[in-house]
Amino acid sequence: MAMLLSEKQIAQLKRRVRETPHPREMVLDVLHAIQDANGWVSDEGIELAAIILGLSPLQVEEIATFYDKIYRRPVGRKVIHICDSICCWSRGSETLMLRLQQLLGIAAGETTTDGMFTLLPTCCLGACADAPAVRIGKTLYGKVAPEQLETILDGERTEVKS
Amino acid sequence: MRTCEPLLFKNRRIGETVFLEGYRKTGGYQGLEKALRDMTPAAVREEVKASGLRGRGGAGFSTGLKWSFFPSDDPGEKYLVCNGDEMEPGTFKDRQLLLADPHHLLEGVLIACYALGIGTAYIFLRDAYRQCAVNLEHAMHEAREAGLLGDNILGSGFSCEVHVHRSAGRYICGEETALLNSLEGLRPTPRSKPPFPAVKGLFGKPTALNNIETLANVPHIITGGAAWYKSLALTEKGSGTKLYGLAGHLETPCCVELPLGMPLGELVRDFGGGVWQQRSFKACLPGGASTPYLTAEHLDVALDYETLEQVGTRLGTGGVVVFDDRTCMVAATLNLLRFFARESCGWCTPCRDGLPLVCWLLERIESGQGTREDMTMLQEQLRYINGRSFCALALGAMGPVDGLLRHFAEEVEDHIRLGRCPLQT
Amino acid sequence: MPTLIIDNQTVTVPEGTNVLEAAKRLGIEIPHFCYHEALGSVGACRLCAVEFREGPVKGIQMSCMTPAKDGMVVDTGSAEVLAYRAQVIEWLMTNHPHDCPVCDEGGECQLQDMTVAGGHGIRRYTGPKRTYQNQNLGPFIVHEMNRCIQCYRCVRTYQDYCGGTDFGVLGSRQRLYFGRFSDGPLESPFAGNLVDVCPTGVLTDKTYRFKSRVWDLQEAPSICPHCSLGCAVTPGARYRQLQRRRARLNNQTNGHFICDRGRFGYGYANHPDRPRYPLVGHRRVTWQEALAAMQSKLQELGELFGSGSIGLLTSSRATLETQFLTKRWAAALGSDQLCFEAHPRRDFASRVAASQQLDRSASLEDVRNCDLAVLIGADPLSEAPMLALALRQAARRGARIVIVDPRPVVLPVAFERHAVSVDKFSQLLRGLGRPQQGDFSSSMEELGGSLANALLAAQRPLLIGGTDLLGPQGTQALQHAAKACSQPEKPCRTMFMLTGPNSFGGALLSANGPGFDSLMEGMEQGRIKALLCFEADPLADYPDRKRSRAALARLDMLAVFDCAATATVQESDFFFPTTTVEESVGTLINNEGRMQTFEQVFSAGTPLAESASGSHPPRFFTRDIPGSEPQSAWGILSALMGRSADLDALRREIEKNDHRFAGLSQLKANGEGRRIAIPSQHPESLPLNIASSIGSDQLQLLVTETLYGSELLSSLSPCLQELIPAPFVTVHPQDATRFKLEEGKKVLLGTPMGDLTLTLRIEGDMVPGVAIVPRLRGTVLEPLVPGTESLPCRIEKV
Repeated sequence: MAMLLSEKQIAQLKRRVRETPHPREMVLDVLHAIQDANGWVSDEGIELAAIILGLSPLQVEEIATFYDKIYRRPVGRKVIHICDSICCWSRGSETLMLRLQQLLGIAAGETTTDGMFTLLPTCCLGACADAPAVRIGKTLYGKVAPEQLETILDGERTEVKS
Repeated sequence: MRTCEPLLFKNRRIGETVFLEGYRKTGGYQGLEKALRDMTPAAVREEVKASGLRGRGGAGFSTGLKWSFFPSDDPGEKYLVCNGDEMEPGTFKDRQLLLADPHHLLEGVLIACYALGIGTAYIFLRDAYRQCAVNLEHAMHEAREAGLLGDNILGSGFSCEVHVHRSAGRYICGEETALLNSLEGLRPTPRSKPPFPAVKGLFGKPTALNNIETLANVPHIITGGAAWYKSLALTEKGSGTKLYGLAGHLETPCCVELPLGMPLGELVRDFGGGVWQQRSFKACLPGGASTPYLTAEHLDVALDYETLEQVGTRLGTGGVVVFDDRTCMVAATLNLLRFFARESCGWCTPCRDGLPLVCWLLERIESGQGTREDMTMLQEQLRYINGRSFCALALGAMGPVDGLLRHFAEEVEDHIRLGRCPLQT
Repeated sequence: MPTLIIDNQTVTVPEGTNVLEAAKRLGIEIPHFCYHEALGSVGACRLCAVEFREGPVKGIQMSCMTPAKDGMVVDTGSAEVLAYRAQVIEWLMTNHPHDCPVCDEGGECQLQDMTVAGGHGIRRYTGPKRTYQNQNLGPFIVHEMNRCIQCYRCVRTYQDYCGGTDFGVLGSRQRLYFGRFSDGPLESPFAGNLVDVCPTGVLTDKTYRFKSRVWDLQEAPSICPHCSLGCAVTPGARYRQLQRRRARLNNQTNGHFICDRGRFGYGYANHPDRPRYPLVGHRRVTWQEALAAMQSKLQELGELFGSGSIGLLTSSRATLETQFLTKRWAAALGSDQLCFEAHPRRDFASRVAASQQLDRSASLEDVRNCDLAVLIGADPLSEAPMLALALRQAARRGARIVIVDPRPVVLPVAFERHAVSVDKFSQLLRGLGRPQQGDFSSSMEELGGSLANALLAAQRPLLIGGTDLLGPQGTQALQHAAKACSQPEKPCRTMFMLTGPNSFGGALLSANGPGFDSLMEGMEQGRIKALLCFEADPLADYPDRKRSRAALARLDMLAVFDCAATATVQESDFFFPTTTVEESVGTLINNEGRMQTFEQVFSAGTPLAESASGSHPPRFFTRDIPGSEPQSAWGILSALMGRSADLDALRREIEKNDHRFAGLSQLKANGEGRRIAIPSQHPESLPLNIASSIGSDQLQLLVTETLYGSELLSSLSPCLQELIPAPFVTVHPQDATRFKLEEGKKVLLGTPMGDLTLTLRIEGDMVPGVAIVPRLRGTVLEPLVPGTESLPCRIEKV
């Protein structure tokens, strides 16, 4: 379990939990920390968060399973969030989604066999003027045309490799 | 082309972020200085009330009135929470502001805290706005160094701490009481009102909640005065400027600051570059995903709170999403409803189980399997979900369905009659 | 007090009452799922919509979320309302599996009722349904999530009301999941309440699974017999088998809920080893033969040795009717050797508890409403579990809870804790009896004094005592303290946890009669030749088992009337099977002095079972129902005295005979019972406290009640077996170090009752110098009985 976060990180989070008068308000911070370090939050991650927060695993799970940006299943090195809300839909996000599925050989919600990408539809990314928008990892791509996708994915792959 | 001197976007250059130095160059923090130096908290509240500023987060409630319910003069812990869970499709204005000019919000937050006697503020940001959070943290660091944040701000004796909270997705967190639960580390389902947050909010303490754009307007009201601010609007009842979003089937989608009350057609033509690909205007969402549609006959309607209510819709967040003449409005409505059904928190029955049923009906109609009975059921859903849910999410969700059945009933009927989508080629 | 009109009827209700409750007062039931009187309004299901025609609120609104206001005119059944409710049902039913034919909830399913009532007969939604995988939630609860309608009652009960943290709500939107983090037994000792609150078949009673349709059950209002609180329950039986117990509403005692010991302790009634036939010398005989044989033996002994040679004993398990008739029979026999409890210290503590001003006595409702509760020597979860739940409700309303106890005490709520050893209690109680004074001679007295001041300052103060640790003297001191901490307008109420469901009745009837010690001496000295035990088990309950065994062995005659195969039953010369609470009628007086009657649920008999071999059933026929011999103890006593078994006449006689029982004949089993108004006299003398000296290489032995395994009847229930812990002893870390003991390892505990090999537990939250063992029947710990003066013991590694 200690592998999920460094001992230093755990100690730091525990200290912050001790110092706040409302330890529960730290629950997303702790889950974010575990996810940032591991890509997702495993069952062991929930149990670790519970220990740090002084809650039961169930109490942490109640929160973790509510938010869609806390991943309770393994994801690839990079998560592709493709916006499926109205502005992007109006400018071709459905075509983008199909193209991505073709290129990656996976359906929405799945991870490529090489563990590189997970494809997740997402609600509005706040990039409506740049529709259709796709976020890959931390990078936001706007006005994405289907023919650009291959280059974008290659670039993301190269970045991971280097 | 009608335009105005921008207030919130005055420092905005696409792709750049203005920090303290740039912000101060154009008059930044003069509002805070004036408030702390020359005005009592009550005077600040009065000024904001007189300005006619209405909440820019969607509901459009008078900010001054909201503040007047707040126990500003009571000692004891109180909080300001800035609602930055901008997740309504078609809405991207707050992100633009934070990407361009984060100090704008910070100054607004500080003046609001001063006016309301608050020492701790939380800025609640949606997960997707990481760069905004980074910008804000940097701005806060600068402000602290400059004596604009923390203890004894500008030597006035007023102290204020600000925390940035990073959420993890979910539209419901934008509902103010759900947001409070989220901040407290509870499941973000809405709370029942009363008690209102102004009485019992974050951690059980009085809490003022305002949208990012709303707070960013406050410094300008203080520096320019209520009367000047009010005069900026194009309509008599309107007040100030508005960050309008322009998205969908337009040549140049963008976010632009204009006087409140811009006529829809003018906005689309002059700032959106007109409907794309030389097509014609069929409909639009006037203010985000939860507002009933406007149609081509509404192009001269002024986009302000009062006028839009008169034509059966709302200004909402001011995010205009335009649909061209090849758009199937059943399909568009289905897309919107799928969003709302997915974002339901699951607390109350009409929202949790009603919205998926609406989606199912729209799917049947769009795919050509719809029957007269499905149309009846759809009308029943509108009637029974509206106003019967725990919070406003389901009410907002039914906005597009309302618009669909009011303005495009014939198009829906055509789907059923033809057994296919009439717009699909 | 707003006055409003609902369906053309006017009603005035207290401020703050919601419209749903206001309608209920008029007998108008507004359909609802998520609302629950004990859990409050949350506005989630949206079924309780009504139409407001006039007043401050207009249009269709949720009645549970709308406080009643003056001038409201409400229509609960307008066409619009009915259509809307039908729509809510349609929404809730979109994903429901419609598996009523295989669902245990069928027949008592709120969803079923509402669906039928709402006229939702045809499902218009034809799309795919959402489905779930279920969890194994342990021995009590079956999980069937597909049936869920997301009313959130379960999570509100489990987390908010009961304080559990291992069951909750996961996910969101239309994909909510009510369950645990992972499979495993529910940890809360109140988990069984999920069965009662779930409005459909998501959470059902595993012990009752596929046994009966509810309309086939025999049910009647009854009282839980597994501790002294007297919680209201509704047992259900079929085919001569007691199949389940549910909570019954009594606002003064348990409210809507019961504990799992109460809910699942019912299995004793069906126990295969339950003795069901009269026995003489372990030989099965008819009732007539057995009674005649016993009568003639009694007569013989009476003639030879005089009426004083006959001793009579009942217990806190016996009903008031049985206790009363035992007293009558003793008088008829001319014997004054009558006792109502085999455990002398518990006996006298109960007598002291029953002698207090009863208007000061606290009900569980008083506990829920207190603003300060100080508990001395009380471990609610072990001794009276529902008290723990009541304390949680008080704390949720802001009450301060203070526990002074040598043991590790767990409550489903945070509390203030003082680990104090029993030998310091007298100092503490001295301080507690002297509020607003300063000259304390010890820190313990000072603690008592500060608690006393807090009690004096509180608005609704409450002192709670466990009689096992306090003993008679401590119980008395606590009463004095309560008096000292009272003001005329705000008395400090008290609550004592007693031995069993009718300890109070026995205490009232005992007056200044002898304790069992004096009967023991009589037996040892040969004065008492016969002992008649009515639902009493002196072998197990007298604290010194060697002594009780030797004394009983000297008797010429031991007659036992009981419903369970107790240790004493094994030694009896005459045995008469009695009925269980569920098989008879009677009255029990709970720990606060509340008289409560219960009705008969079913008639005793061996439960029907499939024949084991699968062959044709036996081809002989009889009119007699197998195993139906047990009779009520008071019925047998009536017969022995040649009286008719007329319950009404008996209750009137009890009332007439002793005015403290006034109102008994008027009591209804489904009511709230009636508090005894007049206390009994304080016992003239109390047994002396004999403190044993503890050597420096010794520990004090403290035997305590525990949730599962201590109480006789529930310890026989098959479904509770897996929850009974293996025998263990708990010591403080200091003592573990001192005696070089390790957690989880076997240790040898040398007690006056013999050497025992036990598993060691180390617990920091207790006093040092003490070895704590639970009372566990049927294990090596069997001979150790709680409620005694502390004894020395040795502990060492094996």
